[in-house]
Amino acid sequence: MKRVFITGMGVISAIGNTVTENHSALQNGVCGISMPPHSSPDLSKVPLAEVALNNQLLRERLQVFDPAVTRTTLLALHAFREAIQDAGLSGEEISSDRTALIGGTTVGGMSQSDELFRDVSQRYSASPFLSSYDCSSVFMFLQEQYRMKGLIDTINTACSSAGNAIGFGMRLIRSGLAERALVGGADSLSKFTISGFNALHILSPEICRPFDRSRQGLNLGEGAAFLVLEGEDTIPPGKKIYAEVTGYYNASDAFHPTSLSANGEGPYLAMQGALGTAGLKAGEIDFINAHGTATENNDESESRAMIRVFGEPPPFASTKSNTGHTLGAAAAVEAVYSLLSLEHQEIYPGLHFSAVIPGTELQPETIWRQLPLRHIMSNSFGFGGNCVSLIFSKS
Amino acid sequence: MLYIHQAEAISPQEIVTNKLEVKEPSYEGVPRNLLRRMGKSVRMGIGASAPILRSTPRPVSGIVIGTGNGGTADSYSFLQQMKEYGEELLTPGTFSQSTSNAMASQLSMMDQNNNYNLTHVHRGLAFEMALLDVSLLSLENERAFYLLAGVDELSPSNYALDEMEGWYPPGIVAGEGAAAFLVSGKPQNAMAAVRAVATLHSSDPEVVRKQLEKFLATHLPAGESISGFVSGENGDARLSDYYKACTTVVGPGTPVILFKKRCGEYPTASAFGLWLACQRLSGEGAGNYLIYNTYKGRQHSFILLTGIAH
Repeated sequence: MKRVFITGMGVISAIGNTVTENHSALQNGVCGISMPPHSSPDLSKVPLAEVALNNQLLRERLQVFDPAVTRTTLLALHAFREAIQDAGLSGEEISSDRTALIGGTTVGGMSQSDELFRDVSQRYSASPFLSSYDCSSVFMFLQEQYRMKGLIDTINTACSSAGNAIGFGMRLIRSGLAERALVGGADSLSKFTISGFNALHILSPEICRPFDRSRQGLNLGEGAAFLVLEGEDTIPPGKKIYAEVTGYYNASDAFHPTSLSANGEGPYLAMQGALGTAGLKAGEIDFINAHGTATENNDESESRAMIRVFGEPPPFASTKSNTGHTLGAAAAVEAVYSLLSLEHQEIYPGLHFSAVIPGTELQPETIWRQLPLRHIMSNSFGFGGNCVSLIFSKS
Repeated sequence: MLYIHQAEAISPQEIVTNKLEVKEPSYEGVPRNLLRRMGKSVRMGIGASAPILRSTPRPVSGIVIGTGNGGTADSYSFLQQMKEYGEELLTPGTFSQSTSNAMASQLSMMDQNNNYNLTHVHRGLAFEMALLDVSLLSLENERAFYLLAGVDELSPSNYALDEMEGWYPPGIVAGEGAAAFLVSGKPQNAMAAVRAVATLHSSDPEVVRKQLEKFLATHLPAGESISGFVSGENGDARLSDYYKACTTVVGPGTPVILFKKRCGEYPTASAFGLWLACQRLSGEGAGNYLIYNTYKGRQHSFILLTGIAH
C-alpha cells in the first residue's frame, strides 16, 4: 500500500490567522470564543468563535473583490494559500491533472443566507449570489483561481466533512488516481446554521466546556484548514514531512438524524476501523484529539466509545474549547493541531473543564505539556451519524 | 470494472410548462412517520434505493450518494421561518432535513447500516464523484456490494436561482429525480459494467474533445467502438459546442440517446442517464455506451458503460 504523507498545512480560525498564530494560541490556552460575539453582535445572542479578520480585511489580504465570493470561500482561500506555500508547490504542480482538490463544507455559500433569501424572494437577477449559494462554490472558486485540472470534489457529511475529504484524498493517492491531494474544509458563521443549531437546543449560553459534567452545549465557530497530501513516490528527498496519514475510517451511527447513540456505536466503529487501517493496536495511540463538542449527547457518547475501544483511553482533549465548533472545517483544523502536536511533541489542553462526567469518569487533559507522541487519533462525528476517525503518525 | 446489478429510478412523469416533475409514488414499505418529515429529494432518493436495500440479504458495505443541492425546499422554508420568527421559536425539522447528507443518513437508519456513508455534493459532478468513490471502494474490497445513488429535487427556490441566472430560456426544461444502483466488483448476474468515469472543469470545447479522446484511448478496448452516445444535451445553444465536440470523437453515425428529454436538467441528471443506459445495455447484451454530460458548461463528465453477454 502506497504511503501518504503531509507536506504542507494552513489554517485560519478564531485563535489565529496562520499555523504559527494557532500554534502559539494553543500553547497558551487561548480561547477564541467570545460573548457577546465581537464583530457581528447582530448574528446571535450566544457566544461565537469568530475569525478576527472581517470580510473587508480578508478581501484586501487575498485581493479578491468579486462580491459573489462568500466568506466561506475567503477563509478557504486564506488557508489554502498558506498550505501550498508551506509545501512549496509550484503553480504547475497545483494545476497539474495529477493534483486533486477535495474539500468539505456544510454551510458553503449559505453564509450569505439573508442576502440570498432577499434576492430570491425579490427575483433580483443581478444578485451576485445566484451561483455561490451551494457547497461546491467554495472549491470551484479555488479550482478556477489555480486553474486546477485534476479531480475536484466537494463532500458534505456535516461535521465530519473535512475528515472524509482527508480520507478521500488519501484513497485517491493510494489508488494512483492522484499524485497529490489538497484536502481540507471551510465553514463560516451564518445565521442559517446559528438558527438551526439554536432550534435544536444544543447551543451553549456560556463558553463551552468539553467533557465537563455541567456542559451546556456547543459554541459555533468558523475557520478553514488545508493539508497537502503527497504519495511517498512523488516527494523529493529532503522535503519537509509533517507526518503520515496512517488511519482513516468512515462509519455510520445509524441511530438518529441529529444525535449519537448512547453507547457510541458509530464513533466506536470509526475508531476501531482507523486502528485497523493503520495496523495499530489501541495501546499505540498516544493522544486523541476528540470531537468533544461539549453537547450533552456527544461528549457522553464519545466517552463511552473511547472506553469501549481503549479500556482506559490515552490522554485526550477537545480544541473546540479554543476554536468553537467549526463544523465542516473541524476535522481539517484539528488535523493541523494534531500535526503540530506531533511536530512539537506536546499536547494542547481542553479549556474550561472542572469535573468529570459521572458514569464515564474520563478526565481530559487540562494543562499544556510535552510528551513523546508517535500516533495521534482525531475524531469527527457529524449529524446524520457520519463518523470519521483519522490517525496521523510521526514518520 | 464496476458491475451494476440492479438499477432503480424515480423520474418525471409529467411536464408543467417547462418543468419535468416527479409525481411521487406511495413509497410502500417506508414508515409513514418518517416520510412525513422528509423533503422531496430525500423521499425520492429513498424511494429509488429502498427496493435495492430490500433485495440484499445483508446491509450493503457502503451508501454513497451524490446530490448537487440536497434539500433546497427545506433550506428555503427554514430561511422563511427565520424571517418570520427571528432566531427564537424555530422548529429544527426543516433545518436538519435540508442538509445534503440527510438522505444517506435516513438510508443508514432504515437499513440499520453502520458501514461507509458519504455524500458528495460537487454540483454537476456530485453523482460522478459518488460513482468514482464506489469504484475505489469496490477495488479496495472486491466482494462487497454498495448502494450508489444520485438525487436532486426541483424546488421553487432552486428553479428561481437558475432561472434568474439565465439557465432556462424558452425550450429548456428543468427536471428532477433519483436513480439508485447496486454495484460491486463481482461480475456474477450483473446487468452492465462501468469501465471508467472521468470528470473535468473547463469552458473550452476543445479541451473536452481532447480529454474524451484520451479517455476512450485509455478505456475502450482496442477494436471496439461506441454503440450508443447517451448525451446530456438539453437544447441550450450555449452548450451545443461541447456536445458537437464529443460527437466528432464518438463518430457522427453513432446512435444518440438524449436522456434529458425524459428527466430534464438538474445537477445529478447523469445518474438518470446511467440508469437509462443500463436498461438499454442489459437488453442488448453487448456494446459500449458513452454517457457525456456537462453542467452549465463548466463541469463535464464521461462514463463508459459496457454490456455483459450472458
